[in-house]
This record gives sequence, C-alpha cells and structure tokens, in this order.
Amino acid sequence: MSEPFIPKILVLATEKCAYPGADAVGKAHQEYPSNVYILRVPSPVLFPEDFYLGCYSKGIDGILIAACGSDCPYHGAYERLAARIDGLTSRMNAGGLGMERIRLTAICTVCIKAFLKEVALMGDALQQLGPVDRQLAARLRDESVERLQSTARLAQPAEALAGGAR
Amino acid sequence: MSEKNENGLRRQDEEAQLECGEPGRDEAARVERAMEAARRQEAAEHQPEEEKLRIGVYICRCGGNISDVVDVERVAETVRLIPGVATAKVHTFVCSDPGQQTISNDILEENLDRVVVASCSPFLHEQTFRGAVARGGMNPYLYEHVNIREQASWAHKHDPAGATDKAIRMIAAAVGKLHHAAPLEQIKLPNHRRALVIGGGIAGMKAAADLAGRGIRVLLVEVSERLGGRLNERGAVYPSERSGDELVADLERRVRRDPNIEVLVSSQVTAVSGFIGNFKVQVQPVRPDAKARVIDTTVGAIVMATGFRPYVPRNGEFLYKNEPCVVTMPEFIQLMRSVKPDARTLTFGKREIRKIAFLHCVGSRQLDGVHEPQPDGKLNTYCSRTCCTTILQQALTVRERFPQIEVFDFYRDIRTYGRGEEAYYTEASKSGVVFFRYNGEEPPRVESAPAGRRARDGAVSITVKDTLTWGEELTLGVDMLVLGTGMTPGPIEDLIGQMKLPTGEDGFLQEVHPKLRPVELSVNGVLLAGTAQGPMNIQETLAAAGAAAVKAAAMFAKDNVELNPYVAAVDLDLCRGEAQCVTQCDYDGALTMVPMEVGGEMVERAQVNAGLCVGCGACVAVCPHRAIDLNGWRLDQYEAMVDGIAADIPGHECAADLVSIH
Repeated sequence: MSEPFIPKILVLATEKCAYPGADAVGKAHQEYPSNVYILRVPSPVLFPEDFYLGCYSKGIDGILIAACGSDCPYHGAYERLAARIDGLTSRMNAGGLGMERIRLTAICTVCIKAFLKEVALMGDALQQLGPVDRQLAARLRDESVERLQSTARLAQPAEALAGGAR
Repeated sequence: MSEKNENGLRRQDEEAQLECGEPGRDEAARVERAMEAARRQEAAEHQPEEEKLRIGVYICRCGGNISDVVDVERVAETVRLIPGVATAKVHTFVCSDPGQQTISNDILEENLDRVVVASCSPFLHEQTFRGAVARGGMNPYLYEHVNIREQASWAHKHDPAGATDKAIRMIAAAVGKLHHAAPLEQIKLPNHRRALVIGGGIAGMKAAADLAGRGIRVLLVEVSERLGGRLNERGAVYPSERSGDELVADLERRVRRDPNIEVLVSSQVTAVSGFIGNFKVQVQPVRPDAKARVIDTTVGAIVMATGFRPYVPRNGEFLYKNEPCVVTMPEFIQLMRSVKPDARTLTFGKREIRKIAFLHCVGSRQLDGVHEPQPDGKLNTYCSRTCCTTILQQALTVRERFPQIEVFDFYRDIRTYGRGEEAYYTEASKSGVVFFRYNGEEPPRVESAPAGRRARDGAVSITVKDTLTWGEELTLGVDMLVLGTGMTPGPIEDLIGQMKLPTGEDGFLQEVHPKLRPVELSVNGVLLAGTAQGPMNIQETLAAAGAAAVKAAAMFAKDNVELNPYVAAVDLDLCRGEAQCVTQCDYDGALTMVPMEVGGEMVERAQVNAGLCVGCGACVAVCPHRAIDLNGWRLDQYEAMVDGIAADIPGHECAADLVSIH
C-alpha cells in the first residue's frame, strides 16, 4: 500500500520563449500536471552545475530546461548552455543520478504541443526512475562545487596584476 | 458572470484590466507617503536582517478566472505562515484601481517593505504592480510577480487541489526570492527621438505623417519604386468610393512636404539591432546603384507598416492559370481600370463578357481535408475580412457600368461588417446580382466547358450545391470567374528573424494583446501599423497607423529610456580578478578587467558596463568565487525559489490530499 509517486518537476523557462510558451498552454486551456513548477529565467546559461544538483538534493525529481534554442536572443548563450548541460548530463549519468532527470529542449512562444509533450515525457521518465536520491545528489553537488573552486588560480600578488587593463 | 469571449477571458476581467493604470489620487498625499516610506526604509536598514522583512502578499481572484479553480482563501491562510509574510490578502481584481490602492496603502499602513502579487502572467501586469508599489514609496524591484492564472488555474482546471498547492509553493518561492532581493535602479539611456517606418503604403505614410506632425523625425523606407503600396493597384475604394490614387496622392503630398520626413524608396532595411530608444538600423538600396548609398543610423522606435501579400492561387485551383478567364480580384480590378470611359462592353482577350461570377473565400478560411495546405504546410484558416465587400463593390460596379452583364456571386458567408459596407450587399441584391451560397466543406467545382460550347455557354462552368435552395445542385456557365482572393503575410521573414518579432499561427505579426495593447509588439519600441498584423480594410489600417504613431510619440516624451536593471554585477569583496567571467562574455565592452584600488592595493577586477551588458548571465556560472551575479535574477534567489517549491511549508500539509496528479 504505497502512495503514488508524485515527482516534482522544475521547468526553467526562458523569458523570451518558453515562459510565454507555457502561458500559451494555459491560455489555450490545455492541461498538464500541477506538480510542474515553472521558473522564469533570462537564460539558463547563468546556472552553474551545482545549482541543478542542488535542486535534486532538495527533492526536485526532474528538471526541464526549456530554452529558446536557435531563437536565443543572446549571442552564444544557447551554445554555451548546451555544452554545459552536456557535461552535467554525463556527470549525472556517471554519478548514478540518472541522466533522464535533466533535459534541454527548445520551446517557442506558441509551442503548446511541444511543451505538453516535453512535460509528459519527463513525467513518464521520472515514474520509471522513482524519487531522486537526495543524498547522492548532495554529494555530486559538493563535488561539483569543489570542481568549480579548483579552477580558481592561487591568489596572485597585487603588483603582478597592476600591469594594466585588458 | 461566466460569459466568456473567444479567448476564454471573462468579460469582467477585461473591463477591470481596461480600468487599470495609475489610480487618481492627491499629489500631496502621495509625496507625503513617499517621504514617510523613505524615512521608514532608512530606519529599517539599521535593524537586523530577519526582522526587517515585512512582505505583503496579494492574491487575485481574477473575477473567478483564478478562484474558480484555486482555493485563494486557503492560499492566503497558508502563505501567512511563511516567515517574512506580514499580510496576505485576497482581492477580486488586484489590477483594478482599488486593488492597486490597497497595495500602495498597505505599504504605508502595514509597514511593508516587499510585495508579492499572485495573479495573471507577468507579461500582463508585472509593470502595473511595480507601478503600484512605487506609488507606495517602495523600490519597484522589491516586488515579485507570481503567475497563478496562465500557469495554474487555467492549466490545472480539473485539479483544484493541485493548483492550490502549486499556487502556495510558487508564492513561497517568490517570498524566498524577495528575502535575497536588493533595491535596484532602472538604467537610463539616451532616447533617440527619431522613428523608422518600414513600408511606404498608406499605413506607413499615415504613421510617418502623424509622427512628423508631432515634431518627430522619421525615416520612411519603401522597398518598391514609389509610395502607395497596394493601394496603387486599386480603383475606387469602399465605402467612400474615393479613388485610391487620390488617397495615395493626398498622403504622399503630406509626407513629401514634411521636412521631418526623409523618404527612401527602392530601399530596404537590411539590419536591425539594439533596443527601444537605441535601435541601430541599416538601409540599403534594393538594386546596387552608384548613387544610392548604404545608410547606418540610429532610431528610437520602429513602425512595422510592411503590409500584406495578396493570396495567389495554386495553378489549377479553381482552374486558375489553366483557364485565362479565371482571374484573381487584383487582376480583375486592373482589367476594370483599363476599360475606356466610353466603352459599352467589357472584353477580355477578344471576348465580350456577358456572364461573370465572383467566388468568395479563395485562400481564406481554409479547412483541413478540404483545401490543400500552403507550401509551409499550413492552412489559411483566417478570414481576410476585406474580400466580401470588395467583391460586392466590384459586382455592383459591373452591374452599374455594364447593365447587360449577368453577375453571379458564390459565397460561403457575407461578411460586410464595417459601417456602410452592408449597403453594398443590399445594393448588389437590388441591382440584380444573383447569389448562391455554398457550404465550406463543399466549395463550388469549376470545369472547362467543351470546345464547341464555349462561345454559347461560357468558357468555364461552375457547379454549386446551393444551400439557399436547400442543397440543389446547379451548374452555370460564365465567361469570367473572379476569385475573391484574400491576404497573406508579407515577405518579411528576414526582419522577423533579426528583430525576433512574434507572429501568430497565421504568420502575421502578433500584438502583445488584441485589446489592451493592440498596436504594440512584445519587442519594446516596435509598433504595428496596418495589414502586417493581419487583414484590415483601409479605415482600420489608417486607425492602426495613427495609433502606432501616437504610441511611438509617447515613447519619445522622455529624454531617456529606462531599462530594467537586470545586468551583471560584480561583488568586489569576492572578486579575485581571475577573469574567467570575461572569457564567457560575447558582448564587446560589456565585461572587462580594469585596474582599481581595493583595500589599499592596485588590482585588476571585473567591471560591468551596464549599457552594454544584455543580462544573459553566461558569466555567472563560471566564477569559482560566486563574485558575479545577475541583478534581479541572482543565483541565491533561484536557490531560495527552489527551496520554496521543494521544502515543507509551515502549517501546510503537503501530503497526498493536497498534491495530486492525473
């Protein structure tokens, strides 16, 4: 007698495309499960890897990155985002968190069907995977933070930097 | 109460929205209130962090649009328990004058220093509520908007418990975000008091003339060799029966005479970048020409008056291009214009026309399974709105000019909706035009007449199942068939791509809101004039162009444009000058390393140029010290929002009785 698993799905929706796309779904009175939470972002490129892993450690089961794709209003942002998510996905896979818990997709302002499809696919995938392992996610997040911090150079003496502006 | 329009928006809701805006109030009281709020804010800054937050949460019923699904009272009860929330109120229309007034008053009376409104999409009313908050004397960026209509009540109609839970969590997320919010100031940039009007048809000319009349300089760019656009191809226009040429000449005179307007014909806009007040545009001659030059200039607003493209039937559609006597409406109008004033007969080729038929809805109101899709795979499902009256006008003209010609009209519906337009139907009927009505699913069939009978019976025969005679099938031979062709979107794909302009399902440019912001595009500073937006007649086109001009002129009332301060910001306490962020920035000059004195030492640190930073956040993710962040969209704010969504809420049972999935 177990209660049905209701996954928490986070949608990071770009302000210019996917967020109005999600609005269009509501305006068309199309329905999707209420456990889908949409956050508006200028571009998901701003998130470091540990942000996503932190979400999982807090109990978010799946993250849909609903971006603008080739319609991205910012130069190079989508390409950078795609590369970052690529790295994250493989680390999630290697770390045993399940690469299906994250998905990068492009949703336009009128992409009602695409939005519904992506949300449904994520829901199905999460039903297969079950609840996220929050401890594992927290560990992966800590590793990710360490990895980012290790990119810091040792503090350099001030006089070495006084050379001039770039 | 429950009466809804085609968009599913309750009428009441629209009325309330139309009343939105700055509530009338006593100026002195406002100043006093603002001063008191400022004093209070100053005093509050000396208090410890946790104590000073007093957040007001306002939950909108939207006249039932939200509260029919979301249990708003329960939402209010629950969010009151979230740390930092001082008050939570439910209002039928928070966007109405009294709703906004409540917020402004509460800021003063309940000492609020942060505000959340949970209502419709932020694209409709985020600015409205920022304004209400500012009028209460609070920094407008200490406001958070929660979307519980488009993204909750409308999207989870059959899951009220789930929608209610989601509303609570999304408000908890906004409250969390506000815990990490800082007051921000808008970025002020110069506003270039000059408009670019793209398209020199009547819409473009009207917009240019109206703008220039308000003292604004205008660059009017037309791709063809002359001004006037599609109207150059028309004769007399309904309902005035004035000649189109005269209309064009009148407007052109105004435009050419006005020193504020620079006209460039045979030119096209080839590049657009920038934003409201500061668009960089490039205009090039259509044909490379030694005399004409490439112009790079800056404008503050852009009016899209790019017009439409007449529908051209496929080869073979109603025998178009197979039978020369099957012509489109623009072709027929050209024929009529070529008739000599003293002509007693209408001839086409060498043939005298004795019977003529008009067919409505060609290329418009297409149905799946009946009509062939366009090359892009889409059907033109919309009504082109002008063809019915044009057909009746032309039918009547034929009857009046050549009474010996028999005129037949094959229609699906008669949509002569404008003032004076219905008279064309009445007059056409009286003049002896014979009407046949067909079902959309069964459009008339057009066939070539056998060679021997063409002279007697007409070159083509039309077979129609006439619903006016209860479905009787009739066949009729005619000498000419005029296809009432509609409008299709103009060829502006390049501009749409470059300027990121939204288009509707029909391919025409799409306004922000059909009723509340009918001539504005979601790209700030870009306005709509005329048929670039969808089929319109001349009156509607001129009205839209006038409205676009006024909107653009209003933008120029200020010397500066104020932009949301959502740009990157460097925390100098954390920055170590490692420049990793700089490598991620694709915008020249937006993020650079500069020498500066920090703690008595000369060091290099990252610096953001707020005028050049676009706020994408690519720099944020790579800093090992989290020293760079995006104002208004900080990483710690997102983390707090995820906490709000994921964590348990005090006093709130998030067990299966509230959360549900289906």
